[in-house]
Amino acid sequence: MRFISKTRLLASSMLVSASMFGLAIAANAQDATFVVSAQNVGTPSYNPINATQLNDAITLIFDRMVIQDADQTFHGQLATEWESTPDGMSWTFKLRPGVTFHDGEPFNAETIVWWIPQFAETENAFMTAAIESVEVIDDLTVRFVMANPDPNLLSNMSSGFMSIPSPKAFDALGDDFGVTAAVGSGPYKLESFTVGQETVLTANEDYAWASDLSENQGAPHIKTLTFREISEDSTAFLELSTGGVDMLYSVPTDFLPRLEGEDSVQVGTMPGTGLFYIPINTTVAPFTDIKVREATAFAINQKEILDNLYGGVGSVANTFLIDSLLAANVDPALKISYDPDRSNAVLDEAGWIMGSDGVREKDGTKLQVALWTQNGTEFKRVTEVVQAQLKAVGIGADITVFDSATINDQYRKGDEHQLAVRSYSWANSDIIDWFFSGERLGYPNVSMWNDPTAQKMNVAAMTGSRTWEERVANFKTYHEYVLSQFVFAPIYQPVQIYAYDKEAISVPEAIRGTRLQSQTVVDITVN
Amino acid sequence: MTAFAPIKTAIRSPRGGVSAAVLLLVVVCALFAPLIAPYAYDIQNLPGANTEPGAAHWMGTDEFGRDLMSRIIYGARTSLSVAVTAISISVAAGLTLGAMAGYFGGWFDRAVTAVVDLTWSFPEILIALILIAIIGPGLESTMVAISIAYLAQFTRLTRAQIMALKNETYVEATTNLGAGHFHIIFRHLLPNALTPVIVAGMLATGDAIILEATLGFFGLGAQPPTPSWGAMMSSGTAQIFIAPWIIIFPGLAIAITVISINLFGDALIEALDIRNRLRSV
Repeated sequence: MRFISKTRLLASSMLVSASMFGLAIAANAQDATFVVSAQNVGTPSYNPINATQLNDAITLIFDRMVIQDADQTFHGQLATEWESTPDGMSWTFKLRPGVTFHDGEPFNAETIVWWIPQFAETENAFMTAAIESVEVIDDLTVRFVMANPDPNLLSNMSSGFMSIPSPKAFDALGDDFGVTAAVGSGPYKLESFTVGQETVLTANEDYAWASDLSENQGAPHIKTLTFREISEDSTAFLELSTGGVDMLYSVPTDFLPRLEGEDSVQVGTMPGTGLFYIPINTTVAPFTDIKVREATAFAINQKEILDNLYGGVGSVANTFLIDSLLAANVDPALKISYDPDRSNAVLDEAGWIMGSDGVREKDGTKLQVALWTQNGTEFKRVTEVVQAQLKAVGIGADITVFDSATINDQYRKGDEHQLAVRSYSWANSDIIDWFFSGERLGYPNVSMWNDPTAQKMNVAAMTGSRTWEERVANFKTYHEYVLSQFVFAPIYQPVQIYAYDKEAISVPEAIRGTRLQSQTVVDITVN
Repeated sequence: MTAFAPIKTAIRSPRGGVSAAVLLLVVVCALFAPLIAPYAYDIQNLPGANTEPGAAHWMGTDEFGRDLMSRIIYGARTSLSVAVTAISISVAAGLTLGAMAGYFGGWFDRAVTAVVDLTWSFPEILIALILIAIIGPGLESTMVAISIAYLAQFTRLTRAQIMALKNETYVEATTNLGAGHFHIIFRHLLPNALTPVIVAGMLATGDAIILEATLGFFGLGAQPPTPSWGAMMSSGTAQIFIAPWIIIFPGLAIAITVISINLFGDALIEALDIRNRLRSV
């Protein structure tokens, strides 16, 4: 029997420990922690087909057929080529070869045949509503036979909601898909997901099908990527400045001076895709009266909010669409801009008389309404200013703050909310359909607006447009009608501000896409 | 010895005197806030947001340009009214339930004890959060939640007192004279069991202020623009690097008030010699 001397044993142990320590350091060196946008905190699922809200990690777990660059051009991801017939009634897509899902299942034409019908009866059905059927041309070619032309098809397909899951995993997991597991073909695999806390992703080492928007055509450089959910902006800021996290997907503007003063922090901005607004419940008194809605809309001082809460960064919102969309170019007379005199005059005309306490009254009823918002510093701050601005024209508002994960269920009750401060992030005119279609009352149609004229315009805009130009014109008409009915009050258009620890990670200078998505994240390296 | 004698004794002690003076100041602020506060608590002045403490605003302004001192003064009204109302309800209900359970015993006592022990096993904050999740956020909800959260404490204390007292000779004598149960409970037992419960109620008021501030911090208490010290601290966290005074002054207000309540409670306990009385019980 051979005995090992104590010295040798000690030396061996130290060597093993040192190796393990070195390995641990090497492993940690490939890790990074990002913080999702505050408005995405509490997103309950990674099921792209059924979800009404998705967070920033969705494009890392799943791939899409096409993706959009910052200049709005489309680039192939799982589709390599596509073409449409002149009448718009048929689209043919060539699919990328050699793609596999995280569970080893192949991606091919059969996947698309299974995938498109999954949207039926879901909240996202409108995205595929124009597709009548999917035909397999060969293993890597499919043809969409259209029920009607849809000039917006590529835009829909570039959305995170049209991310493609593994059919096998999707069918096997049922309602648990996106909650207990999420299987896609993206550059990262879902390791764990705790709603409201964090999502842990590990690199998909087989990934070799990045789009031409990414420099890196292989597996992502960051091997373990954690997305934390932090609702308090100051906590997120503190985490970044102390090295607890490496990147913030959204930064409030009032933190800009502080962040720019931090040597290790790099701040970047991107054009905004979102808008803050106040949906007005048109089915609950006093907002059944269009005059009260009009007064509410014109009571909001957008410039005051922009200048004082956002330090002038971003722009005011006077319509429901972000300014970069063509359908936002409405008749100037229909734009909603702060006009307290008009608010007061309309309320007087409607019979609401100013009371001694600064709140108007009519037939013994106070003009006191419910004003809802969700958790999060930004929402609460905007809501408190809105409350004061409404009070200035004699509308009393009682604020209730709801948890972001449950507020949509509260809206679905339909008759309990009156006003709310909300935001959306979407760079397409069809957001008007999403939030004002009579088929989605409660949520997403928080305004509970069900107007036959609007529905006709909705149908024309969503399914009656043969060309892009026709679609823009139809949406503009629909948008103008929505504005004329005062079913919401616009507030603010933010820019996207992100910040990262430049000593910890390197982020490409040019962000390829309308927001920080997979095409950029796969190029991020750990320093 | 009059009912106020122990209070006078407590005030004469150094810590009792100082704490009573501070508490008196807080109560005066709460009662006469509109007369004392230099500004309205809800008038925003956005261009003047996050102004440092100075001559115009002694404690600075918050992120909406509202005078922080005025909001703290009005906040005393919120904190004290919620805490005092909630604890008063809790004490009244606890006295009634505890006295009935301790006096009658039997199935009623077992039922009350089971429920009380169940709620006693959870921290007050958890009970309050569950209740507010059911009834919804707001000032009234906060009062209800706090009063229920502290009910077990007073019920247990009263029950223990009544059980010890009900076998006393004077109670037996009153029973033999033909007095009814409610006469015995409310005329003979409760007055003798009241003192420790009142002192416990006073100490619980300090805890209730913290609980109200905690619920306010989570956005579950008073809704904007009604000032609440906890909610003010919560909104101050977002400005901590820009305007730290927004979180510091409400925090100090909570700390000073709660410490004063506890110090005065301790002084009162000594004046009443409750520890020795409880020990003998």
